[in-house]
Amino acid sequence: MKFGIFFELSVPRPWDDETEHSVYMNALEQVRLADELGFDQVWAVEHHFLEEYSHCSAPDVFLSACAAQTKRIRVGHGIVVCVPGFNHPIRIAERAAVLDIISSGRLDLGTGRSATWPELGGFQADPDETKKSWDEYIHCIPKMWTQERFEYQGQYFSMPNRAVLPKPYQKPHPPLWVAVSSPGTEFDAADRGMGALGVSFTSFAAQEQRVKTYRERIANCDPVGEFVNNQIASVNFLYCHPEDEEGVKIGKNMIGTFQYMAGQNAMAKEVYPTSSYPTGGLLAATRRQADGPGDARGAPEGIAVGNPANIIRELKKWEAAGVDRVNFMLNAAEVIPQQRVLDSLRLFAKEVMPAFQKSELAEVGS
Amino acid sequence: MAAYGTLAFESVLDNAPALKSLETEPWTLPGARLIQASIEVEREPALAAIPPALHPSLPPYALFAVTEFPESPVGPFRLAQVRIVTRAGTRPRGFLVGAVCDSDVAAAELAARWGYSVVPGEVKLVERHDRWIGTVVRDGATIMQVTCRDPQLINGADIDLVDTLTLARHESESLLMQVDPEYVYHAAHRGHAELEFDSASWGRGLLAGSVRPTSPNVAVCCRVDTDLPTPRFVIDPAKPALLGTRRISAVGEPAD
Repeated sequence: MKFGIFFELSVPRPWDDETEHSVYMNALEQVRLADELGFDQVWAVEHHFLEEYSHCSAPDVFLSACAAQTKRIRVGHGIVVCVPGFNHPIRIAERAAVLDIISSGRLDLGTGRSATWPELGGFQADPDETKKSWDEYIHCIPKMWTQERFEYQGQYFSMPNRAVLPKPYQKPHPPLWVAVSSPGTEFDAADRGMGALGVSFTSFAAQEQRVKTYRERIANCDPVGEFVNNQIASVNFLYCHPEDEEGVKIGKNMIGTFQYMAGQNAMAKEVYPTSSYPTGGLLAATRRQADGPGDARGAPEGIAVGNPANIIRELKKWEAAGVDRVNFMLNAAEVIPQQRVLDSLRLFAKEVMPAFQKSELAEVGS
Repeated sequence: MAAYGTLAFESVLDNAPALKSLETEPWTLPGARLIQASIEVEREPALAAIPPALHPSLPPYALFAVTEFPESPVGPFRLAQVRIVTRAGTRPRGFLVGAVCDSDVAAAELAARWGYSVVPGEVKLVERHDRWIGTVVRDGATIMQVTCRDPQLINGADIDLVDTLTLARHESESLLMQVDPEYVYHAAHRGHAELEFDSASWGRGLLAGSVRPTSPNVAVCCRVDTDLPTPRFVIDPAKPALLGTRRISAVGEPAD
């Protein structure tokens, strides 16, 4: 199992001239440390207009800084909203290719369609159409990368014969992912040969079954790209502390803060009745898990808060359920002081990561 | 953290309904017809119209609704409501800022049982093939007309009708009463929202004539069996809802 970090870049009120700058600088410091410590990926979301919850509207720019300040960690551009008005597919292909080049081939591209009314309404998008435009985009972007010239007549965009430039550094192209929040989207990913990003289920038993089905379906997929990315990544929260009680307390405060901020946003389904959005979005599944009754320690099941031993125990459950990667949120609205976030990362790398590296080595040796 | 409402609710409490009891019997309301538009409103006046217990939603929006109840314990009536959508903690709730009813008997019961602050007026709901239209007239003037244009059939399960909070008094206490009906859909449609709205005529002056609809979003019209249930929760309007919400003794629900 591999571990990454991801950023919503939440910015708490009250805002002054330094607030956003401070959040971005703290995040970059966390990325540099994560790179040194051996975390495998850093993801940055794309959100617009979500006051406090996420001020990460230009993730490609943020990730360019991440790439420039690190040597090894992969940069996850996702999810990129594949909806007209938000992004033109040509611009997605171009920006992603540049990011892959300047990171020397460290890009992963995550795709999705947005789930909130501030965003869909803000860009005047039709919620009924977003799955269809996503499908069209993700079938075209790999061809823009791999074909010298590309032309297309479609429902959501068309273009005459042109060379989309530059081409990605990775050959044939960077790995492709799909953000999964609505039930069934993981199978959309499987059928298209794409990784499932952010799969979280209501129980580990259900998780195992859906991973099994994902694996079966992706074995017979019709890939949108030149290769199949058959990985499943899950999102989680991380606060690691030597004292379990302190780790759970601070971690739960982060989770609660995140939940509260997310809950202020009107979801697409709340405002605009449509079968296109059956669930809430904004990591709804993970949020429900983190609202669970928890164990005797008061920690929600499957959530990586507490001391290293307990975090290892929870992450082993994800591993056993078939998850390949876990991407962690490290803070929310800056409720955890920066030094503590950095200490949490260091402790996780020192005490938790080896428990999973050993199992990988054992697999190689077996 | 998220902003809280700034309504000085004490100043309007004298006009708020006085509840007879917190444990009223439910009403069954079969065969209702409902039209409702969800429309964004300006942030600052929306903040000024909701009490400190509540956050505005992001983006701030309001619900403009007309419902026809052909059957009720007090006979048929029609009710128009304007609610600003808020968050009680993280839960979506529509805070009632104004209501008009065409039945004096129903209006009195709605006030005494569920805290609806209702004024009398003409309320109509007209159903055409190309649109549904809800109209509210007071003193000879149309103060609201809400239209669902070009309605398309959808699944009722896709509609999330937001529960209501009313501002009321009970004995010496001021409170927000949660009204959370159930809905069984017999037909549901979604269409384009159109609204004519005289905000100065609504809400005991709560809206102060300044809540301006900014972005017509969407309207729904549907036929439902619904109810007005026995209340389950009340909120202290002065405290954040996470701290000020309490379960009240109710049929089928244990008291804390």
